[in-house]
Amino acid sequence: MAVPKNIAKLQVRVWDLPTRIYHWGQLILVAAALLLGFFGPEWWLDAHVYVGYAIIAFIVFRLIWGVWGPEYSRFSNFLFSPKAVIAHIKKLVSGRPSHFLGHNPLGSLMVFALILILALLSISGLTVLGGVENQGPLAGFASFSLGTLARIGHEFLAYLLVGMIVAHIFGVLFESYMSKTSLTRAMVDGRKPVTEDQRPATLYPVRKEGGMIIAFGVICVIGAVGALASTMPASGLIAMPVNESFQSECADCHQVYHPSLLPRESWVSLMGNLSDHFGEDASLGADTTNEIMSYLSRYAAQAWDTEAANFLSLVDEKHPFQITATPFWISRHANIPQEIFRTKPVNSKANCSACHKDAAGGMFADQNIQIAHGQN
Amino acid sequence: MKHKLLIGVIFLALASPAQAGPRETIMELLAAEAQVANSSYSGFSAAAGEALFLATFTTGKPETTSCTTCHTNSPSNVGETRAGKPIDPMATSVTPDRYTDQAKVDKWFRRNCNSVLGRECTAQEKGDFLTFMINQ
Repeated sequence: MAVPKNIAKLQVRVWDLPTRIYHWGQLILVAAALLLGFFGPEWWLDAHVYVGYAIIAFIVFRLIWGVWGPEYSRFSNFLFSPKAVIAHIKKLVSGRPSHFLGHNPLGSLMVFALILILALLSISGLTVLGGVENQGPLAGFASFSLGTLARIGHEFLAYLLVGMIVAHIFGVLFESYMSKTSLTRAMVDGRKPVTEDQRPATLYPVRKEGGMIIAFGVICVIGAVGALASTMPASGLIAMPVNESFQSECADCHQVYHPSLLPRESWVSLMGNLSDHFGEDASLGADTTNEIMSYLSRYAAQAWDTEAANFLSLVDEKHPFQITATPFWISRHANIPQEIFRTKPVNSKANCSACHKDAAGGMFADQNIQIAHGQN
Repeated sequence: MKHKLLIGVIFLALASPAQAGPRETIMELLAAEAQVANSSYSGFSAAAGEALFLATFTTGKPETTSCTTCHTNSPSNVGETRAGKPIDPMATSVTPDRYTDQAKVDKWFRRNCNSVLGRECTAQEKGDFLTFMINQ
């Protein structure tokens, strides 16, 4: 077929609708995840997590679309050899880059890198959620120490992602300028003008329906497996019976603190010093004291693998049984105005459940924080 | 000493056969104990109980210098523990089931006298205190 003379005005549908929806949808999701992750209060964790789930679904779609989608969306269309990449860079440096209808070699690298980093962010995020928060599909598998490691990775990758997004935007603007074609616009309407040095598209038979059905099916299966895994008991939690003496005696003066909130040694020392208990005599009969002490020893922080148990185990040596003196407690509450602790309805730093709605269970999930506001 | 106390209890029990509630028993035991401790014992005084309730001590723990630290200066008010938990008013007119459980009465006098006064309370003090709370 002869190449028409007015080829410059010819436009080719490069980006199919699902790919464009993927691109802009992922943009919105990633922006939301980054904003929520960096700036959102802890109690918005659910929003961050659900955006993350959506990002996973989008990645799965994109991977499947890269195999069963239309030509320009296929990975095979923009899989370049290292040689081709180097050749492209050399031309770029010399100021005469060749233009591609689909992704150019550097753009292709960015596409793969972005998909990879989003996948790694998803996996590390789920590991943090499962290991540190004892929630989500990995709660039954991930330990706290694995979760804290994953958190370091998750944060590092998030900063890296921001850098890559900047590079991506710069690359798009640069290529748009060099090729005198708005790549951004092309990602909106899908069309790019064909220029002389570009080969006409040799279209694969478009099997959109097939790719869509496969993507939908795989996303459903992954979602179902994830939902099922989420119902597994969290690996950091153990079954704990209720002890009547513990509940009633301690609740005489203060809310009942979950046994996981202090290490064994601290509980033993606390129960041995009840006659001077935070400035008051809280002594009990010997039988009751022993009963409560053995209950607390058995279900102390060492028996759990929650965030609270792990961090609050690191007590302040001068105040071994004062939870609010632990370095973790202090650093976590550093941004809360002292006024909130002093006034109603909180009244005291010891009143965990004023803001942590799940304090009684020892979970202290981020989502269950509701900062109490003073009524005075 | 012990049999003296016993005789006192029996005497009081016989003297007031119509009043057999747990609170009355607690008061009678305190009266008997006070009698034993002080031969010039002449009953409990609500005024002395009130004075004790409102007094400030320097002999106890610095965090709790007075009953009013937690119980407010009126027995009909809801108090608050130092950990922020509400305490039912001390007056039986507001909290009718107070002072009916010997173990509880013993536990709280033991703890709170030690916290506020830095020592155990005498039977006279306990009796005065409860008389004040019961007669609000």
